[in-house]
Parts: sequence; structure tokens; C-alpha cells
Amino acid sequence: MAFLDITSVSKSYGAQTVLENVNLLIEKGEFVVFLGPSGCGKSTLLRMISGLETITSGTISIEGQVVNDIEPAARGTAMVFQSYALYPHMTIFQNVSFGLRMARKPREMIAKAVGQAAAILKLDRLMDRKPGQLSGGQKQRVAIGRAIVREPRAFLFDEPLSNLDAELRVQMRAELMDLHRRLGTTMIYVTHDQVEAMTLADKMVVMSGGRVQQAGPPLQLYDDPDNRFVAGFVGSPKMNFLPAQVVASEAGRLRLSGIGGSGQADLPLDVPGLQGAVELGLRPQHLHLVAPGEAPAGLVLEGRVVMVEELGSESFVHLDLADGTRITLRAGREADLAPSVLRVAADLRHALIFGPDGLRIRGRDGRAA
Amino acid sequence: MNAVTAGVTPWTVAKWMLALAIAVVALFPIWWMINVVFALPGEPVSLNPRLWPTSLSAGFDKIHMIFAETGYLRAYAISLLYAVLTIAGVLLFGSLAAFEFSLFDFPGRKALFAVVMLSLMVPTAVTVIPTYLLTARIGWLNSMQGLVVPGLASAFGLFMLVQFMRAIPKDMIEAARLDGASHFQIYWHVALPLCRNAMVTLAILTFMQTWGNYMWPLIVATKPEMYTVGQVVGLFNSPLSHHTVDTVMTANLLAAIPPLLFFLIFQRKIVEGIAMSGSKG
Ligand SMILES: Nc1ncnc2c1ncn2[C@@H]1O[C@H](COP(=O)(O)OP(=O)(O)O)[C@@H](O)[C@H]1O
Ligand SMILES: [Mg+2]
Repeated sequence: MAFLDITSVSKSYGAQTVLENVNLLIEKGEFVVFLGPSGCGKSTLLRMISGLETITSGTISIEGQVVNDIEPAARGTAMVFQSYALYPHMTIFQNVSFGLRMARKPREMIAKAVGQAAAILKLDRLMDRKPGQLSGGQKQRVAIGRAIVREPRAFLFDEPLSNLDAELRVQMRAELMDLHRRLGTTMIYVTHDQVEAMTLADKMVVMSGGRVQQAGPPLQLYDDPDNRFVAGFVGSPKMNFLPAQVVASEAGRLRLSGIGGSGQADLPLDVPGLQGAVELGLRPQHLHLVAPGEAPAGLVLEGRVVMVEELGSESFVHLDLADGTRITLRAGREADLAPSVLRVAADLRHALIFGPDGLRIRGRDGRAA
Repeated sequence: MNAVTAGVTPWTVAKWMLALAIAVVALFPIWWMINVVFALPGEPVSLNPRLWPTSLSAGFDKIHMIFAETGYLRAYAISLLYAVLTIAGVLLFGSLAAFEFSLFDFPGRKALFAVVMLSLMVPTAVTVIPTYLLTARIGWLNSMQGLVVPGLASAFGLFMLVQFMRAIPKDMIEAARLDGASHFQIYWHVALPLCRNAMVTLAILTFMQTWGNYMWPLIVATKPEMYTVGQVVGLFNSPLSHHTVDTVMTANLLAAIPPLLFFLIFQRKIVEGIAMSGSKG
């Protein structure tokens, strides 16, 4: 039995369907990240788990118990909001202890619980301050403290780091990982930032348009995406997608032409009968510049330099191919980026093929192409 | 030009002059009232008028006379009770209703709120007769509840508090809900403290309004035992009264002292409140 079981869950506001047939299993102690662009329904799903939002159809159960009709406070989940949602008129101690005080817990017990949370989050010296006197990072720690004292079965985070600056975000990310390691409690975390998702998640759930696109370990989604959306959303810079025509698909080989204009490729992919237009997916690090005089085998493309992003250790070069497709590739410091037209060779062992419907086309033997 | 006079332009001088002029015009009646009370009868309006008090003892004699010969102290008590009960009720009902209207959704919320807001546009004179008839039918004429209860539901108060509570982030209410706070606990521990300023302002405005309310007490509490300060002053002012100008002035001054004190104490809050209720929404 999974810790959290989401079965055929849908959500509509009037005629607008926001979530459609979501199925998801979450194990106890897992760090799960819901990742997707803004408006895809991540927060709605999280809020349905917390009980703040009703469930239109389907069931959500926690540890075997259906919680559809259970009050938010009774579900044993604690939520941390992007806006922190601290009570501005209360001190930090009063904020953190609010839930316990409302439940009329004994004074010593409250002091002990708050003290423990404060120690974990290094909040001891802030207890008498008001939220207005704290920095963003401190406020977020208080919000987490307020969740910790409830000793929840699961922590729910809705974009908790989005209001922090980049440096603090990295630091808080490390603290969250540490917290998860220490408490061992299930955490469900919503973000639109794929770097955050990749670094935090045991299991990443990529969502788009109210549907779960794919769920699994971050690297699995990165290496072996089910569809074009997941392939494009996970990884930075984005995967390149090159339109291509199937010339032949037989005897375990897929031959493509017209790649980015006139490129040709021959891939070890067994999909008998495949024809028509497909897309070839290649990550920026699987493309490299061809040195003058070199004549590599396989797919070679030629493109006009549009922009070079220098990041110090590496550069990302943006090229326009003959058919207008824009691609990005990674180049080392030593690369000569002076010419306005560059030749690029692709490492086809990592190429992925997507059909016109956006679904990944895998070989018949199940092997990733 | 030195540092002190820097920035003083003819324009600022003109502004100050204007402000001073307005202050003089506004303060003169009050000053005149004090002047007339604390002077020998007839003196301030004589051929040789004075603009400052001339006899403190004469003033105190008049005040003493009014307290001794009319039910002024009793009227003070009635007015004060009327004001305090009304304030308490307006704050309680206003904040409870505003809590629901601004932070939660329920069937008919918009329509109900619209009706309440529409009632703001109906002049009191229109509703006073039906309210009187209703009060009379319940048998509340000449009673404190008859005085207070019809004023407890303040559309203006609701409007003001709703504007305020709307600014409370939904997240905060939800956080409290997840923390296990009951509906009432959320109201009491989160919503109410967060609109304290608005509550203070509403209390002040309600005080001013209740203290100065003449029409409703006049209609509903006609027995002398239930007279408010306003009604007692009204007796002095009536055309057939035999009192001289300075006695009438004394009664007026006594009626004006509580709101004046109130204003001096809460000056800043009142200004904030008026700015707030006027510009928000
Ligand atoms: N209370 C609501 N009423 C109507 N539509 C809503 C409501 N809340 C969210 N939505 C819609 O649901 C969709 C998903 O919202 P949300 O879950 O907040 O997205 P995300 O968190 O992924 O950015 C959005 O299109 C949003 O407009
Ligand atoms: Mg969201």
C-alpha cells in the first residue's frame, strides 16, 4: 500500500477542467516534486491533497484512508505557502505555536515542541520578533517551523522558494534536503523551476495542461522522457527538436532525411512501418562543433550563429539551421566561435524520436534510441 | 538666504495663511461659546463686547445651576450608554458580517452585499417611520434597547470592514485553517486583530454619530427619563424656553465637551479613518 494514493482525480471549476484523471502513488518518506509550467494545476493538486480544495471526482487516500471528505486539519498534512502566510500581528513564537495553542495543548508541551522546531531551523533568537522584522529566508523558516510543530504525516510546499533571491534559494534548497533527511517525513513540493525539481526530488511528477505527463526519478525523466513535453521541460538549456522525414524503417534501422533542412541520419531504432514526419530530439551537450578539416560520420548540420552565451566554463551557441529551426549547443572555451556559419555534428546515440502527436517513439525492443 | 528660510516660498506662506484662516473660522464658535459662558450675563453681547472670558465664577455658577436644575447628569449617562452599546454592537455585528462577506463564499453573497450597500443610499428620513413602527410594536419605546438596537446593523461599518478584510491574504486564512483553527478562532485570532485599525476608526466614527444623533432619540425616547444630552440641549434651545443666551450656551458647551475631548485624544485616528473610509474601495 502506497502512503498517498491519488486515483482518477479530476478537478473542474464550473465548465473549466483544471485537472484531468490524475493517477499517482507516493511512498512514505519520498520527496516528490510536482513540476510544470504556471497554470498547469500543480497548486490545485497540492491543495486537494491538503483539503483546501474539494475533489470533483476520484479519490485521494492517505495510508489507506480515503480523505476526500476529511477536514484539512485532520488530514495530518502541513502546508508551507509561497507567501509564507505568517500572521503579522503575532510574534514568531506565537506564529509557530498557533496550531498547538488553538488545540489547547498544555503549555509545557507547546514550549517543548516550539523549542525543538526552533533548534532545527535555527530560529531560537527570533522568537520574540514579529514577521515584519524578518528577512525572506527567515520568514520561510518560520513557516516551515509552523509546519514542523504539527508533526505532520506529510509536508506540502507550494513554491516555497519563489520569493527568495537566487543565492538564498540555493541555500534554502540545501536546508530543505537536510530537513528531509533528518525528519524522514514525506514531502510534496510544487515548483515551476526544473533545476529545483531535479535537485530535490526522489520522484518528479511533470505536469502540463492538467495532466500528469510522466512521473519517476529525475534522471529517468531526463534520460528517457515519455513525450516531447517532458523532454523539452526537463533539462536546461532545453532539448533541441529537429523536424525530419522518415526515409525507411526496416531491419532495426531508422533512416531519416531533411533534418534541419538537408541533414541525414541512420539510427539503430527498430520501429517497423514508421513513416511520415517525426522530430529528432538532441540535448545541447550531444551536439558539438566540427573543427575545420574534420569530416565526421553521421549527422552533420550547418547553421548561422545567432547568439553566443558565455558562461565562463562553457558557452551555449544558438544557431539557425537552413530550414529556420533554432538549435542550441554546448561549446568549450577552446572552440572557435568567430565564423558566422558553423558546422555541427550530432552524437546520435543519445537522439530521441518523437511522433507528430508529441509522443516518444521507442524501439520495438524497448531500447532507448 | 539661510537654511531656515530655504524652501519657504510665497506659495507655502499662502497655504499657511489659508490653513490659519480656516482654523480661526472653525474654532471661533467654540471660543465664543466658552467666552459667553465664562462671563457675567449680558457682557459679551453688550455694546462693548469682549473676546475673552471675564468671569470664571459666573461660568461655574451657570454649570452648577444646569446640573442642579435639569437631568443633565442622567442625560450624560444615557447618551454614554447609548454610544457605548451602539459601538459594541456595530463592531461585533459589522466584523462578523464582514468576515463572512470578504473572506468566504456562500450562495447569494454578492446579491446580499449589494442589497446592504444599496441601503447606504437610502436617507435615514425614509426608514425612520417604519423603524419607529416596528420598535413601537415590539414595545421598546422609551427603552435603551429601542434606542440602541435599530442602530446596530451599520451598512457603512460593514462596507468599511469589508474593504479592510478583503486585504487579508487568503493564504493566511488557509494557513490558520490547516493549523486546526475553527471558523470562530480564525475570526477571533486572525481576522479581527488584523483589522484593528479599522475597528478603532469605526468605533470613533460611531461615537461621533451616536453622540450627535438627535432625530432617533427624539422620536423613540420621548419620556424625560430617557432624554439624551442632545434632547436636553434641544429643550434649552426651543423657541419657547425662558433661558437666556448664556444658559443655553452653557448647556451647549456641556454637550460639546465629550466629543471635543474625544477628538483631541483620537485626532490622528479620526483623520486616518476619514481618509481611509473615503479613499478606499
Ligand atoms: N478558484 C479558482 N477558480 C477558477 N479557476 C481556478 C481557480 N484556482 C485555479 N484556477 C485555474 O486552475 C488552473 C491551475 O491553477 P493552479 O493549480 O494554481 O496552477 P499552477 O499552480 O500550476 O500554476 C489555472 O488555469 C487557474 O486559472
Ligand atoms: Mg501555483
